[in-house]
Amino acid sequence: MAVVSKMIEADDLSILGLSLEVALTATLAILPIGIALAWLLAGWRGQGRVLVESILTLPLVLPPTAIGIVLLTLLSKHHALGRVLSDVGIEIMFTWKAAVLASAVMSLPLLVRSARTAFEEIDPRLLGVARTLGDGPLRVFRRVALPLAWRGIAAGVLLSFCRALGEFGATILIAGNIPGRTQTLALAIFHRSQVGRDGDALRLVALVCFVALAAVYATERLGHRRGAAPSAT
Amino acid sequence: MLLALTFAVQACRKALPQDELLVFAAASTADVLTEVGRDFETETTQKVRFSFGGSRDLARQIRAGAPAAVIVSADAETIDALVEAKLVRSEDRRSFASNRLVVVVPTGAASVAIHTPRDLVGVVRLAIGDPKLVPAGNYARQWLEKEGLWTEVAPHVLPSLDVRAALAAVEAGHADAGIVYRTDAARSQRVQIAYEVPVERAPTIAYVAARLASADTPGAMRFLDFLTGSKARATLARHGFVL
Repeated sequence: MAVVSKMIEADDLSILGLSLEVALTATLAILPIGIALAWLLAGWRGQGRVLVESILTLPLVLPPTAIGIVLLTLLSKHHALGRVLSDVGIEIMFTWKAAVLASAVMSLPLLVRSARTAFEEIDPRLLGVARTLGDGPLRVFRRVALPLAWRGIAAGVLLSFCRALGEFGATILIAGNIPGRTQTLALAIFHRSQVGRDGDALRLVALVCFVALAAVYATERLGHRRGAAPSAT
Repeated sequence: MLLALTFAVQACRKALPQDELLVFAAASTADVLTEVGRDFETETTQKVRFSFGGSRDLARQIRAGAPAAVIVSADAETIDALVEAKLVRSEDRRSFASNRLVVVVPTGAASVAIHTPRDLVGVVRLAIGDPKLVPAGNYARQWLEKEGLWTEVAPHVLPSLDVRAALAAVEAGHADAGIVYRTDAARSQRVQIAYEVPVERAPTIAYVAARLASADTPGAMRFLDFLTGSKARATLARHGFVL
């Protein structure tokens, strides 16, 4: 323990703490929205579904800086949305909330895609049975769909969390790089390498590797059990 | 949907230390202001938090709504632009120090010999702050323009996001030489000063601190007063700044 505490500095831990808080809050914030969107998309048979799905996937494929500058523009005081928020006393830009917002927007597509796939894998007959037994749509969702799809949703949540943890491009544009307030792991690594503190940056890399590995490992485990389920039953 | 997200984020509002004074400051003042900040905290019990970077990038963040109370720029133009944008009142700025421009090369090693400005033309990669973003880079450019060398040197420039990044590029050997402040060169064992730009050839270097008009906290003005006071001036002098 003594060796570990010597290798890691207090600064590193507070940066890790802030990053975890930001990533966790972002993930929690998108959870209801992401699951609702996934459920609606999974049940949508009409036209336009592919278009909506494609639009929702944009943050995953666009350069993060493109998302960042769009958010920066929308939330600036020169834009209606930014003015409304500012008028009701909500300050987002270059605060902790901006880092959360950037991470949330960037990781939403991952949650929606994973959860949608999970919902689509449910045998539609099971949902049909529930409906014929008199369950309303909300009850079908809560009592049948959610319990059957939870593994896929959980995997999506973990992936989103990882994406949120690593967010850089949109974050630096709308949250800046303020130590102790908005400087997350990804930003601190960038800043330290910029000013020639490569060793200090690598220490953060080791820390984030540890967290990311744990999350990805958990995701993989969830995925494997889901794949193995049919043969086990 | 963006609105919904925004509100979701707002709902998870974190209690931030609102009594903390947020100071955006030029990268070249990182060491000296950290020390000045500690003295200020001891004397006033007002907590200070610094964010160091290229002066113009910091000003850009302020224009975009960053909640800084004080900005410390390595040039007067950046503050003038904020005054123009009505983000700083003209009476709320203080010019408090100057600096010298130097050419640095990696220590020891068979580094390029630079004895006159013209020798810079032979440098393969010259690290300077991005002249559009970083005052030190802008000063370097103005100096080289005055020497009539800029057009020859410009293709070899390795631009960086702040002056400390230019210093780091030379330290790491990514650049063969760099133009930084004398105070930056003094704090590094891995670079040596090859040439000091004579004061009469260099543009006027002025560090200017200003309170943001949006900062209604009394701490901001107290910080400006402290920065121009005798204790801070002694610290600045000890770090090699020109007063």
